[in-house]
Amino acid sequence: MHDPDAPDSDESPHRLTRRGFLTQAGMAGVASVAAAMPLVGAAEAAPVPEAPDIPGTVPVALRINGTTHRIRIDPRATLLDTLRETVHLTGTKKGCDHGQCGACTVHVNGQRVNSCLRLALMHEGDDITTIEGIGVPEALHPMQAAFVAHDGYQCGYCTSGQIMSAVALLKEPCGPSDADVKELMSGNICRCGAYPNIVAAIQQVRGNTRVSEG
Amino acid sequence: MERFQYTRARTVPEAIGIAAQSTTAQQSAPIRFVAGGTTLVDLMKLDVERPTRLVDINHLGLNAIERTADGGLKVGALVRNSALAQDPAVMRDYRVLSEALLSGASAQLRNVATTSGNLLQRTRCMYFRNTAMACNKREPGSGCSAIGGENRTLAILGTSSQCIATNPSDMNVALAALEATVHLQGTKGTRAIAFQDFHLLPGDTPNRETVLEPGDLVTHVTLPPPRSGTTSRYLKLRDRASYEFALASAAVVVEVAGGRFRYVRLAMGGIGTKPWRMTAAEQALTGAPVDEATIRQAATLALRDARPQSQNGFKVELATRCLAHALRLATGMASV
Amino acid sequence: MSVVGTSVARKDGIGKATGAAKYADDLSIPGMLFGRTVRSTIPCGRVKRIRYDFDTTGFTIVDRRDIPLDGRNVVALIEDDQPFLVERDVRHVAEPIVLLAHADREKLLAADVIIEYEVEPPVFDPEASTESLKTLTIDKGHLDAGFAQADVIVEGTYRTGHQEHVYIEPNGVIAVPEDGGIAIFGSIQCPFYVVKALKSLLGPKAHVRVVQTETGGGFGGKEEYPSMIAGHATLLALKAGLPVKIVYDRTEDMIATTKRHPSIVRHRTGVKRDGTLVAMDVEVILDGGAYITLSPVVLSRGCIHAAGPYRCDNVRIRGRAMLTNTPPNGAFRGFGAPQTIFAIEAHMDRIAEALGVDPVTIRERNALVPGDTTATGQRLTADCSALPVLREAVERTDFRRKREALRGTNRGIGLSLFYHGSGFTGSGELRLASKAALELTDHGVRILVSSTEIGQGTRTMHAQIVAETLGIPYEDVDVAQPDTTLVPDSGPTVASRTCMVVGRILQRCAEDLKRRLGDLTPAEYYRAHGPFTIVREHEPPGWIQWDDETYTGDAYATYAWGCDVVEVELDADTCEVRPLHLTAVQEVGKAIHPALARGQIEGGSAQGIGYAIVEHVAMRDGVMANASLTNYTIPTTLDTPAMDIVLLENPYEDGPFGAKGLGELPMDGPAPAVINALRHLGVDLSEIPATPERVMSACGSR
Repeated sequence: MHDPDAPDSDESPHRLTRRGFLTQAGMAGVASVAAAMPLVGAAEAAPVPEAPDIPGTVPVALRINGTTHRIRIDPRATLLDTLRETVHLTGTKKGCDHGQCGACTVHVNGQRVNSCLRLALMHEGDDITTIEGIGVPEALHPMQAAFVAHDGYQCGYCTSGQIMSAVALLKEPCGPSDADVKELMSGNICRCGAYPNIVAAIQQVRGNTRVSEG
Repeated sequence: MERFQYTRARTVPEAIGIAAQSTTAQQSAPIRFVAGGTTLVDLMKLDVERPTRLVDINHLGLNAIERTADGGLKVGALVRNSALAQDPAVMRDYRVLSEALLSGASAQLRNVATTSGNLLQRTRCMYFRNTAMACNKREPGSGCSAIGGENRTLAILGTSSQCIATNPSDMNVALAALEATVHLQGTKGTRAIAFQDFHLLPGDTPNRETVLEPGDLVTHVTLPPPRSGTTSRYLKLRDRASYEFALASAAVVVEVAGGRFRYVRLAMGGIGTKPWRMTAAEQALTGAPVDEATIRQAATLALRDARPQSQNGFKVELATRCLAHALRLATGMASV
Repeated sequence: MSVVGTSVARKDGIGKATGAAKYADDLSIPGMLFGRTVRSTIPCGRVKRIRYDFDTTGFTIVDRRDIPLDGRNVVALIEDDQPFLVERDVRHVAEPIVLLAHADREKLLAADVIIEYEVEPPVFDPEASTESLKTLTIDKGHLDAGFAQADVIVEGTYRTGHQEHVYIEPNGVIAVPEDGGIAIFGSIQCPFYVVKALKSLLGPKAHVRVVQTETGGGFGGKEEYPSMIAGHATLLALKAGLPVKIVYDRTEDMIATTKRHPSIVRHRTGVKRDGTLVAMDVEVILDGGAYITLSPVVLSRGCIHAAGPYRCDNVRIRGRAMLTNTPPNGAFRGFGAPQTIFAIEAHMDRIAEALGVDPVTIRERNALVPGDTTATGQRLTADCSALPVLREAVERTDFRRKREALRGTNRGIGLSLFYHGSGFTGSGELRLASKAALELTDHGVRILVSSTEIGQGTRTMHAQIVAETLGIPYEDVDVAQPDTTLVPDSGPTVASRTCMVVGRILQRCAEDLKRRLGDLTPAEYYRAHGPFTIVREHEPPGWIQWDDETYTGDAYATYAWGCDVVEVELDADTCEVRPLHLTAVQEVGKAIHPALARGQIEGGSAQGIGYAIVEHVAMRDGVMANASLTNYTIPTTLDTPAMDIVLLENPYEDGPFGAKGLGELPMDGPAPAVINALRHLGVDLSEIPATPERVMSACGSR
């Protein structure tokens, strides 16, 4: 299935080892997530079984949060699924898988996109940034800190998408008012209705006092 | 999703050469170009499209916005919707296009959706998108579930007994009113297609939506030089304030002189099986006085041929009001 | 007070803001398979034959014959009528018939299962249905005598449709074989409901452990249906001997899982010339869907709230939940009350119009005050705040002046007055006998409850109550992740009970612990005496008297009260309804965490605005035809009006620091306030959502 014309990469022994592991993780749904799942108990102790390379996968090098990941993926894999299941960056969420909610928003070369509608293969050579790449608990991105300060979430499932959108918005043409922010944030659905707090967080980071409406 | 072979095309001839091997460039094409992917990948996930080969055209260039020799604008096929909407020349000279683009989708989608992809955007008819249901557009001859089904959002103009699906694009409506030209390159060379000839009516072949043949690649779209003295606006009515397809929309380009319409181009979206030019209303308005009565008569005339379905009768009135209001906005008779 | 009443940092804040919080689909377990549910495609009939038209190598396949011998094929809830897997009869589209699991998701999705049916005619209209899932009658006074006193009789019929929850995280669980039984990790509102259902599936002696993972919204939608999904994952995991993950995609979630019950409510009201209500005859019809599930209790809450927060001596409320061949409707924030409150509040404005008085006057005349009795005969005490919320909202919005000033413009203003009973109905809390526990840790205490954090702030608010009571820093209080083998059953996380009821049990735990600690801090005590855990059970107020047969007595321990004022703009040309501003004055007893409380009101109000204006489930031939987020639209940030949230506090003596239930109240008010604002504009609607076509046809008649 791999097209010979597609950009390829050489394989070092190190990569093969890593590839073997990640292929299992992505394709067969096998992964060790001991750290991520403190409550699994017995299950987490089980060894990761060795699995053969799954046919039909192709090598791809993706630069994510500044690190190049050389992995094998099914050509059908979306950027979203690749991030979550092959690279194990699960902060990016799948809310609808069809570009209708915004939960999967990431940055590609600094611009926000819905990762669920992008094929991962198409992003070789691009700079991909996810929620994990903009800040950590000890050093939050100002937007993350503003979301915490303004309680800009409830259930949290749309939150990484909201924050990634909000960070990208800072560099986009956007008027000063709340209504301007809302228009540009309307691609991120929040069912908990944390919208007022999200707008407040964004306006704080933009340095705008809130411009009232209506 | 079906398995497919992926090729990142490096040149236009290479892309065309691969695509020319396809049996069709329409529904169910085995070879597809992919650019933004916002329509194609979406439909592949739903198994509505099942190409066995994808040709990635993102690296062909074709992403410039340039002045043409006659003072018009040349928009590359791969110019992203957000870039086109925010282009200074577009904002200044073709406001209707900028407004239409910004009224569509979300900021994220506009960042990847391309000019040519938007041109080829597929209908949102829920039966087209559901492989468990009959749909002549998806599977010719299987029937139309929308006729007599959930058709609240579907077309009232250009429908046939085989299909009532709406063209969902906002950009297309503006391009129709601006009388754009679509430029193709294929195995036999280049072609220029007048915008209103690019999309086809469903008729008995709703699976055929455009004039594209295997190997045809949209390279760019040109806009005629802006007419001095014209104003243009886009008005979109929908179920919610943003991130939503139109129930009815109107693109209006008008020039008013001496209290009369001197130049009028009208197109509507959300109501037609293709981007719909309102030529009868254009003629009725040209030369007529700019007043409420004229506008209402013309808007009514524009929807004269509407044929509503079981649930979308309201769209006839809604579209009439939408067009009238867009005319009021463009002529300064209303401000919001 | 130093912690309670302040907006401390959420316990779950950093994890959510950094993407570190782990939801069900974020977890992966070695050897895990993916599960898929094969569902009925007909609304009514019988399964004749099942054929597997694919290479079954590597697949685990489960059907009804795989139910363990000790178990039963029923999702145990109120009644045992809904099967995990179809036995033979199909009652609705999307009913689970066969389960598949495979390691490769693409192969799993491609597997073709062909099911042949014998088709029977379905029933979709609840009024045409002959099978009721539950009926009840509330009777107070003498209806005929009441109508005899009436100067005017006002009638009206009000309709609401399905509403889809659209939690942004779709349903999902992972089942892991463990100790001869099963462990479930999932997006779950009520872990012990899942335990009950799995014990019925596997047999009472089976080992069952249920762990709630971070949950991306519930709103009631993850109250009962996760039991079904957990059962499916369990059957597959036990047969395969491997962990199985089932995560629904958005369309499956919309087509298969529960929604808010559609309703038809008919009012016939006798009123005196001066506005006094003298007789209220109310008929409530809910579309229950194909199985009983929670419909009896949804109907119950709906009917109890159907007369609104008004005094009337003669009331009859007759309710019935009817079977239709559609997926069962279930719990959704408000639980029957948003439907009946919509009806009574739209009706009150019609009564006001019939009498020629304004909407405030009719409500002022009839609003419940301490000492009045409700439709069930419950005598209200000092925690009744109907008039205070009404007056605050009217004053704050300058409602009467604004209503006059807007006349003749394209803006309308409307209000709604409402209340919501906190906790389970009647003797429900006594039967639940909920428990909570506190254990010492080396740096403080840990809360052990089965109440789940689903975004509403459970962990934070519980920790505040405990910290305040113990007099220790908020940071020293941990909250255990709900794991049914480690935490006691605190009852379900529903019914606006998590703060008022479970918070109160925790407060009692902390009071006991404080006595035990003496002068020591928890950490000092732990170091001196080792581990210690205190468990307490809920003690409902002794005065609650309730008769389930006659529907009389103290329906709820207390009520929270609200008044919403909504200003809308109607584009007369395009019939677009745009909510401009919402003022929500809500009396919640005590706001433990004001920012979270405001967040609940903002969020509930946004869902209410969606319910009023845009949310429409196109249920066609028994299936949701518009099962996607572009076709079923919910409000974006741009559709959500500016909000002015006013928290009033009138402590409820038996709530922690006076707190009442808060989560559902804000869902009740926006829809009638929007419809009343449209009525102010001359648009006579009695059905939601207020779509352009409905508004257009109503405008045509004005």
